[in-house]
Amino acid sequence: MAHRNLLYLLSLKELRTRYKKSVLGWAWSLLNPISQMLIFTIIFTYVFGQNPLAGDPSGLKNFPLYFLCGLLPWNFFAITTSTAMGNVQNGAGLIKKVTFPHEHLVFSVVVAQFVTLLIETIILFVALTLAGQTPLVWLPILLVLYGLWALFTTGVALALSAANVFFHDVQYLWSIVSQLLFYATPVIYFIPLIKLDALRNVANYGPTGSFIVAFHDVLYDGRMPSIARVGYLAVLAAFTLAAGAWIFGKLSPRFAEQM
Amino acid sequence: MAGDIALSVDHLVKSFRIHQQKTNSLKQLIAARGRNRYDDFVAVDDVTFDVREGEVFGIIGQNGSGKSTLLKCMAGILQPNSGTVQVFRRMGALLELGAGFHPELTGRENIFLNAAILGMGRREIALRFDEIVDFSGLHTFIDQPVKTYSSGMYVRLAFAVAINVDPQLLIVDEILAVGDVSFQRRCLEKFVEFRSEGRTIVLVTHDMGSVKNLCDRAIWLEHGKAIDEGDPADLVEAYTERMLGGAAPAADGSVRRGSGEIRITEVEMFTQGDPTPVKRCRTSDSIVLRLHYQAEKTVPQPVIGIEIQSLGGATVTAPNTRDVGMVPPNMSGTGVVDITIPRVDLLPGTYDLHTSITDFNRAYVYDHVQLALRFDVMTGKPYETGGLVTMRPQWSLS
Ligand SMILES: Nc1ncnc2c1ncn2[C@@H]1O[C@H](COP(=O)(O)OP(=O)(O)OP(=O)(O)O)[C@@H](O)[C@H]1O
Ligand SMILES: [Mg+2]
Repeated sequence: MAHRNLLYLLSLKELRTRYKKSVLGWAWSLLNPISQMLIFTIIFTYVFGQNPLAGDPSGLKNFPLYFLCGLLPWNFFAITTSTAMGNVQNGAGLIKKVTFPHEHLVFSVVVAQFVTLLIETIILFVALTLAGQTPLVWLPILLVLYGLWALFTTGVALALSAANVFFHDVQYLWSIVSQLLFYATPVIYFIPLIKLDALRNVANYGPTGSFIVAFHDVLYDGRMPSIARVGYLAVLAAFTLAAGAWIFGKLSPRFAEQM
Repeated sequence: MAGDIALSVDHLVKSFRIHQQKTNSLKQLIAARGRNRYDDFVAVDDVTFDVREGEVFGIIGQNGSGKSTLLKCMAGILQPNSGTVQVFRRMGALLELGAGFHPELTGRENIFLNAAILGMGRREIALRFDEIVDFSGLHTFIDQPVKTYSSGMYVRLAFAVAINVDPQLLIVDEILAVGDVSFQRRCLEKFVEFRSEGRTIVLVTHDMGSVKNLCDRAIWLEHGKAIDEGDPADLVEAYTERMLGGAAPAADGSVRRGSGEIRITEVEMFTQGDPTPVKRCRTSDSIVLRLHYQAEKTVPQPVIGIEIQSLGGATVTAPNTRDVGMVPPNMSGTGVVDITIPRVDLLPGTYDLHTSITDFNRAYVYDHVQLALRFDVMTGKPYETGGLVTMRPQWSLS
């Protein structure tokens, strides 16, 4: 790929600027999902008095681990999309002065967030192992799923960040939409417990939900997701990426004069 | 290879949509029900030219005439509406005060980032890193974020990066405007060096001196149209005239401006012992330049100056009465000012003499005559084949 060196430097910058100014540095990136997980666990256990469902066939019955299995990839998606919009906007100084592939401003965020996701996943693997699971068996399929999830996320990020150059309130709109998406995605609840059929279908087959279900399959339940689902995810990822790339490619030549 | 085309611009048109209301938010778009009214503003209008390999090509024109827009199209940052730009050489561009820097990153990181954008490998840029920092002179600031830099520092770094990535074609917009004198000098030296190495430079600047001295050819933009192209000295002269209130040249080719309370009415040149005015002299002659003035009212503390320029546009000398502490308290009526030059050090060639009368601060111009006298210097003693003046060197070989 042309400008590989540029992507490397921009990704490094993403990783560095994020944590440079804080004393705890990298620890913050881990603290965030952990604190979310703690809050959800406390609310569901002590406020709603719920019990987690058991993983099938893993037998795992644990709120914190269930939440983390969905939260880590979800945060990757949510943070990447919103940061990418900001990164393209902050890249005005570059875009107006030099010619370079603008999509690298998006790709670098994806790369940096993906590295973060992988590091967080290592911690999750340690926790799962301590809980008596054998997550390493599932590593290859998990990486495939993570890869598809990253392609899907890239597509969404490309489309949003291109649109945001032309209409700045895309980013505000997106912060609302992504919150709605979060609740439409089975991160903090179990699909079998949903009472309404329509809602269950959204959670199970919605664009983000269908990915999270697969992550739960692999990490929490300890089983292979159905071939049909993996195929569906691959199509979803390919389609979203193609659409995002098309939109970005159409709009990016006009970035410089719009900024 | 000299004579090859380095860059070709063909019928380039670039227009901007000027919206009645800027629609950067959906609310505004919805309020306008999608029928957002706009006008097309043509910033670059059907411009065609070629830049030859090894040439310094100038672009002049007043503010808003489309120079920067044209350069951005050349650099591929803006998409032209129609027409083409073809770049045949490795190009480096310095657009409008600085390169693309990321404000949060340090100078060091930005150097690497820029080099990467320009397509250099990490090892390649590491080799040149010291050279870049040396040229920018920003050693102590190189690990500070560039958002803390002054605009001059910003440009220094940008220029240092741009010239060190080895461009064969350098596009520069107004680089000289914010640098200090020492940096401007180094930029000019670098341009001259580039030119002598056969590299190509496209230069946008409001500094007419550098257009005349540096450029081989120039183009003049007005309202986006290329209204003239050719020899920089001619272009600059025509352009300066137009800019300074449309003063038309007199029959003898001189151009006058200024408020006119006092004027130089005539300039004569005499060689020693000859009472008839002449238009030529020899190297080492003794001459007198006689300026006739006429004042309509009493003018306090006028500073009278002359400037002698070579045909190439280089100012050879520009003395004035303030520099020698000879400013009269006031001047009125008519009279003459004699400037005796005991020994002319000019080498053979044609020279132009400009005169000026200003107030003491040299800010308010009573009278300025461009090309008050054109005279020739002919071969005398000593004779040298190059340069404009002789320093009367004494050679000794051993
Ligand atoms: N992104 C833009 N959107 C709308 N109009 C623009 C845009 N960029 C430039 N223009 C307009 O195009 C015209 C030409 O601008 P340009 O910057 O090319 O002038 P210039 O010749 O470089 O002037 P200067 O000598 O001041 O640098 C101006 O009238 C300017 O308002
Ligand atoms: Mg300009």
